Amino acid sequence: MGVQEVQNQGAVPAYQKKKKAGHSEGFQESFLQNLKNRDLEKQANTAAETEAKRAAADTQTEVKVKAEKAGMGRIGAAPGIRVNAAAMQETLQAVEVRHMSYEESDHVRIAVTEGYTLKGKREEGGEARVYVEAKYEDGRVEAYQVEMAKVPERTEHMIERFALETMQER
Amino acid sequence: MEQEWSYLVDEYRAMLYRIAFSNMKNRADAEDAVQEAFLRYMKDEKPIQNKEHEKAWLIRTTIHICLDILKSGWYQKTVPWNESFENAAKNIYLPYQVRDDETLEAVLRLPVHYRNPIYLFYYEDYSIHEIAGILNEKEGTIKTRLRRGREEVKKILTEGRP
Repeated sequence: MGVQEVQNQGAVPAYQKKKKAGHSEGFQESFLQNLKNRDLEKQANTAAETEAKRAAADTQTEVKVKAEKAGMGRIGAAPGIRVNAAAMQETLQAVEVRHMSYEESDHVRIAVTEGYTLKGKREEGGEARVYVEAKYEDGRVEAYQVEMAKVPERTEHMIERFALETMQER
Repeated sequence: MEQEWSYLVDEYRAMLYRIAFSNMKNRADAEDAVQEAFLRYMKDEKPIQNKEHEKAWLIRTTIHICLDILKSGWYQKTVPWNESFENAAKNIYLPYQVRDDETLEAVLRLPVHYRNPIYLFYYEDYSIHEIAGILNEKEGTIKTRLRRGREEVKKILTEGRP
């Protein structure tokens, strides 16, 4: 193969500067179609988001109502405390406040910086139960009975954890 | 007669001492204040309605005696020689096991209008209604002082100053 032949093979063909027939119309058509599809998609997404938000709000309200029914007041809703409403209903029960003194309690927690005090007492009887009384800075006093058999060992709930500490207190 | 007073002393001495100590921050002055409160109770002729009234009267009088001593010119010019303020919380023997000296120390460093409501509410377990009666204040005032006092305690604990 001579030098001349190689040069000819590697040459780039000149640009035609001619558009194919119907090419532009096709592009416009598909572009418009794409725009239309994107709008439809956007609308569908917005509707789905609204629906999801509504569902989340409904769930939150439901959890709150369940938690309130279970006797969980501010503690259950306090930041940093994970609430499992269904589990709470089984382990915690709101009971009548006995106005137990510190001396009568088996375990006491004074949380000045958080604005509450907790008093715990092991209940006498067959099943392991702990009576917990909570007093808040705004004057509210709430009492709970905790079923110890149902409390998970590594619970993150403040009342349950306090009840576990009360059981261990001697 | 002596027996009548001795029950009173046995029942309230420890609690009144703690309240007096939270204000005076030294043992001798706290004991003086408590004794003075008992003396005033014995001399006082006004009828005491019930046990709660009796208790509230004694607490209120003890606090007033403490504040009077603290305000006196003699007290302001003297310094107790044998006790340091930093260890004040160790001299308050609470009737339960959990101790958090750091927080109690911060409470003792609060100004008097925050200190007494916070101390009575958290450490002596009084209700807002009872504290309002003892300190002759409205319940709303006590709630506000508890909230603001708590913020001050946080500041002391984090920044080391009220």
